[in-house]
Amino acid sequence: MAERSFSEEVKKLRAGAGDIFEGEGILAITKALLQSGVSYVGGYQGSPISHLMDVLNDAQEILSELGVHFEANGSEATAAAMLSASINYPLRGAVTWKSTVGTNVASDALSNLASAGVTGGALVIVGEDYGEGSSIMQERSYAFAMKAQMWLMDPRPNLTSITEMVERGFELSEASNTPVFYMMRIRGCHVTGEFTAKDNVAPAFNKHAPVVPQREPEKIILPPYVYEQEREKIAQRLPAAIKFIREQGLNEHFPGRYESLGIITCGGSYNTVIRALQRQGLADVYGNAEVPIYCMNVAYPLVPDELIEFCVGKEQVLVLEEGQPEYIEQGIQTILRRRDVQTRVYGKDIMPMAGEYTGQVMLEGVTRFLLAATEQQIPLELDLASVLALQTPVSDEDIAALMENLPPRPAGLCTGCPERPLFSAIKQLQEEMGPFHISSDIGCHSFATAAPFNLGNTIMGYGLSLASSSGMRHALPHKAISIMGDGGFWHNGLTSGVTSAVFNGHDGLLIIIDNGYSAATGGQDIPSLVEPSLIASTIDAQQPQREQWQSIEDACRGAGVDWLQTVSTYNIEAMKHTLREALTTDAPGLKVVIAEGECMLNRQRRIKPLLKKAIDTGQRVDRARFYIDAETCTGDHGCIRLSGCPSLTIKDNPDPLRVDPVSYVDNSCVGCGVCGTNAHSAILCPSFSQIDLVYNPTRFERLRHGLRARVRNWWRDRDLRRRELARL
Amino acid sequence: MTAPLKTINMIVAALGGEGGGVLTNWLIDVAKRSGWYCQSTSLAGVAQRTGATIYYLEFIPRSKNQPEPVMSLFPAQGDIDIAVTSEIAEAGRMISRGFISPERTTLISSDHRVYGITEKSATADGTADTAFILDLSTRYANRFVHFDLLELVQRHGTVISAGLFGAIAGAGVLPFQRDVFTEVLAVGKGAAANRAAFDESFDRAHSGGVALYDPDPPSVFGLPEATTPLGARLLPLVAALPEGVHEVVYQGVLRLLDYQDEAYAADFLQRVAQVVDIDSGHNGYDLTQETARWLALWMAFEDIPRVAQLKCRPARETEIREEVRAASGQFIQVTEFFHPRVEEVAALLPKAWGQRLLNSNLLTKVLESMLGARKLRTDKVLTQWTLRRLAALKGGRRKSLGFSQEWVMIERWFSAVLSAPSPVVAKAIADCGGMVKGYGATRHRTTSRLLVILDAIKTQDVVTADFICRAQKAAMLGEDSAAFDDLIQSESSLMEHAVQ
Repeated sequence: MAERSFSEEVKKLRAGAGDIFEGEGILAITKALLQSGVSYVGGYQGSPISHLMDVLNDAQEILSELGVHFEANGSEATAAAMLSASINYPLRGAVTWKSTVGTNVASDALSNLASAGVTGGALVIVGEDYGEGSSIMQERSYAFAMKAQMWLMDPRPNLTSITEMVERGFELSEASNTPVFYMMRIRGCHVTGEFTAKDNVAPAFNKHAPVVPQREPEKIILPPYVYEQEREKIAQRLPAAIKFIREQGLNEHFPGRYESLGIITCGGSYNTVIRALQRQGLADVYGNAEVPIYCMNVAYPLVPDELIEFCVGKEQVLVLEEGQPEYIEQGIQTILRRRDVQTRVYGKDIMPMAGEYTGQVMLEGVTRFLLAATEQQIPLELDLASVLALQTPVSDEDIAALMENLPPRPAGLCTGCPERPLFSAIKQLQEEMGPFHISSDIGCHSFATAAPFNLGNTIMGYGLSLASSSGMRHALPHKAISIMGDGGFWHNGLTSGVTSAVFNGHDGLLIIIDNGYSAATGGQDIPSLVEPSLIASTIDAQQPQREQWQSIEDACRGAGVDWLQTVSTYNIEAMKHTLREALTTDAPGLKVVIAEGECMLNRQRRIKPLLKKAIDTGQRVDRARFYIDAETCTGDHGCIRLSGCPSLTIKDNPDPLRVDPVSYVDNSCVGCGVCGTNAHSAILCPSFSQIDLVYNPTRFERLRHGLRARVRNWWRDRDLRRRELARL
Repeated sequence: MTAPLKTINMIVAALGGEGGGVLTNWLIDVAKRSGWYCQSTSLAGVAQRTGATIYYLEFIPRSKNQPEPVMSLFPAQGDIDIAVTSEIAEAGRMISRGFISPERTTLISSDHRVYGITEKSATADGTADTAFILDLSTRYANRFVHFDLLELVQRHGTVISAGLFGAIAGAGVLPFQRDVFTEVLAVGKGAAANRAAFDESFDRAHSGGVALYDPDPPSVFGLPEATTPLGARLLPLVAALPEGVHEVVYQGVLRLLDYQDEAYAADFLQRVAQVVDIDSGHNGYDLTQETARWLALWMAFEDIPRVAQLKCRPARETEIREEVRAASGQFIQVTEFFHPRVEEVAALLPKAWGQRLLNSNLLTKVLESMLGARKLRTDKVLTQWTLRRLAALKGGRRKSLGFSQEWVMIERWFSAVLSAPSPVVAKAIADCGGMVKGYGATRHRTTSRLLVILDAIKTQDVVTADFICRAQKAAMLGEDSAAFDDLIQSESSLMEHAVQ
């Protein structure tokens, strides 16, 4: 069950010809796939295309009505391999993932697919996680498209273009027998808008209409065929693609009256260019610009004839391409030089090499470009100095003071997260055993590398923590420690990590965090599902069940792990004990600790309705939350340094003598109990209390409570009388 | 010639889980019902709850004979008409990123704080200066509408997005009718609460937002008249001190009466009078004031009887019930997490016995096995009774090992204040009294670092307040001692082992 449900939105996927479809970019792409007669879809979740997987998951009913096959693939490599269905048969298929990380994982299958070529249209929808809001290292997918000879579409970010280009992408793929990347930037994935829908098209082949199996040996990637495939890529597929792009007008030419100038942009940056020109008084809000624009909705391959036609007769053009190196600019230079076109090409000489072309970056670059024109003087609303001044209106002195007062807000673990007590335990163990070198992984647990835990030294990729510890385990003062999530374990960790480590006699510790979901990407289901965790007095009326549950423990044992223990993360003492044992035992081989606790976000979604129902129907229910006594808290915040829970915060000290803020548990507390357990385990302070709110108490409880209250109140009244006497 | 048509650009900065997405969808709906286009996009980041999330919206009227407008997906510096932030430090962040233009941007923000992890995890006070950000926002925004939206929405039982929606409508920054906003809110869960929060927020923003937010005027403390013989004995001693220190000293006296007895409070007053003698009167006798503050707090150190006393205090149950929002008549159970150690038990005993206990490995081991982590239900009668017996042990406190240990340290600090070479240095030493905090290992760490500072300045030829301040700051960085040790070693002739 994913974090966000699209069960309402997917109804829009039934829209027919002429209906106006309103929604987010991701949903529009799904609709476009259905309009294109796609036969199979798959992928692996990850920002910014997580929601595409969620939408497909929630759209199973519509997909099965049409006969479209969907798989939530085990990894991007699995997804890419799915596309082999399009090699021999005219089946249209689409897969999606986060790029470049997902593209890297998928690269083996992609290269082979690109070599063999496709008969049915094959689309790889990559969420280009580049620039502001990204969560990975910064690289572009463009290089992969070039080296594998796959085409790369980068449509203008409005829903009409986005959906139109999906359909065109399939056609381009089929016309040139080549798989196509369809690139969506972060903001494009989440952009809202509208387009005119078409009817959905059932795929020509599916389980109701199977293909006739056929063998085409020349499409197998073995010698001698691979040499012919390599030749064919250049001799046939590339010219076919260029011809199709040109004939179908996939790239757009917008004329403008300053004909000595031209801007060449990728589709994804088109709106930002228009805004920059508009702010300089050279375009209106409908996109009518006075500077000619060549907009490449297909960013690779370049179409030489179109570029020549655009550039001939121009004094200068500006090439807009985010990131490095400047592949497109180099390509255009080559094309122009070969035809001896003398147009001056501006690009990375006036634009930043690294990073996104944001509004300000674009405005600066376009302004510099326009100011360089000599043939025609362009009247500008803002001179360069004014543009540069826009960067910040704030004085240096104020900025310096402001920076002192802006708390960073790194992503951290959620309220009640089961991973928090694990890291509290590791932090306490570190105090005991000396500093640790920890190989970390991708997932929510990556955030343990930040404050307040500061645990973890390297992250090498999804499911690669154990593998990444193998090169230095002989040179560490302690047994190598690797931390991996359940998502990473199933994605890659079992094979690249566990199997290889057992094979090599790796005498280290692997902690697998089993929270039951692919939590960091939005709570998607994964093969394993954690047992309901023991969380202080929250009810568990319904144990989560998933058909064909796959066990991490069995998988590890099957791979040859002998030393394996499963511990609830919320039991900090038991966790410390187990980890200490794993790090000090003489037992040979890999030590695996499965740290178990259900993702709290998913758990709350699951149990909240149950809790409410139980209370409403008169069942006796305890609801726990924690409380800090402001009178005994001295404001040293040791508890926060061990936890970092969002609900464990601070407030002004109510004590008229003390000045530092006291720790405080706000009402978002879910009562996971970690504060109390930490207070015990690390011997912090006596300020923590667990408060249980009792709903629908039994008759006996009511009687007992009444008696207790009378005694307590008698004491209280006596105290108050005495206090009255001791007044000043 | 009319000005060319432009989009209205709005940036919304919220924190994860605050409903920024819901707010965006409401705004899109309002625009649609009003015959406008609204394009939005977001940087939601990962699924976790603590990061900042950014939404960006552009609005433009629909026109029958025009194509679809081309709108930007990037907020751009100098191109923002409306900036909405759910928390005041986020308003500061928008300013730092250049999104607030003095000639153009209306900034709408709640002025409450949601603390970041670095602010929360500081050993002392690491919070950002809200007043500074408010001042900056006033100076850099074209218009700045702000009030405490969190307090408002909590009163109405809803979340911040409903309040922000009301503030946006009330500020009149979008060309849409109030009715359209309320139509959008009329559906879904919590419609009534959202509407109530919307209405109040609308009115406050409509009337300027700022005018209605008036923090309590700074109160002037007046020493109360004595109403009992006890008061008649003690209050004149307070009254004899300079007026600027009355409040702190009065609170200190109350604290120590509650903690111990009249003689203890009188001892405190006599010590405060000693400080007044060396105080130059600078900054409203702040030397005396701060020494008195930390002296009173240290004198009321948290031993087992004190903690037991606080856990049984009369107002506690009501405080808890209010905080956890227990319904009237609803039962609550209160479970305390205690972890008494041998040291704390020894501290309770008469000095000689306590020493003997700590010196005996056997006794320590036996006691250790009996103590340890305890969960105690203080709503139970037996637990209350036990805590009240423990609280009553304060009668023997003066003879206890813990008391003598604390007083050795208090005397060292206090005499260092009195014998400081200058009032400025004395004040810096007095401020170090604030380092005494925490329990168990934390308390041991903070207090022993204070003593290290006192030792270090003894070795210095010239003692400066600057050094003491820096040492205090380094000492309060947390568990890691590297920064503190380095500073002490480089600027005093204390040996490394002495630092330990």
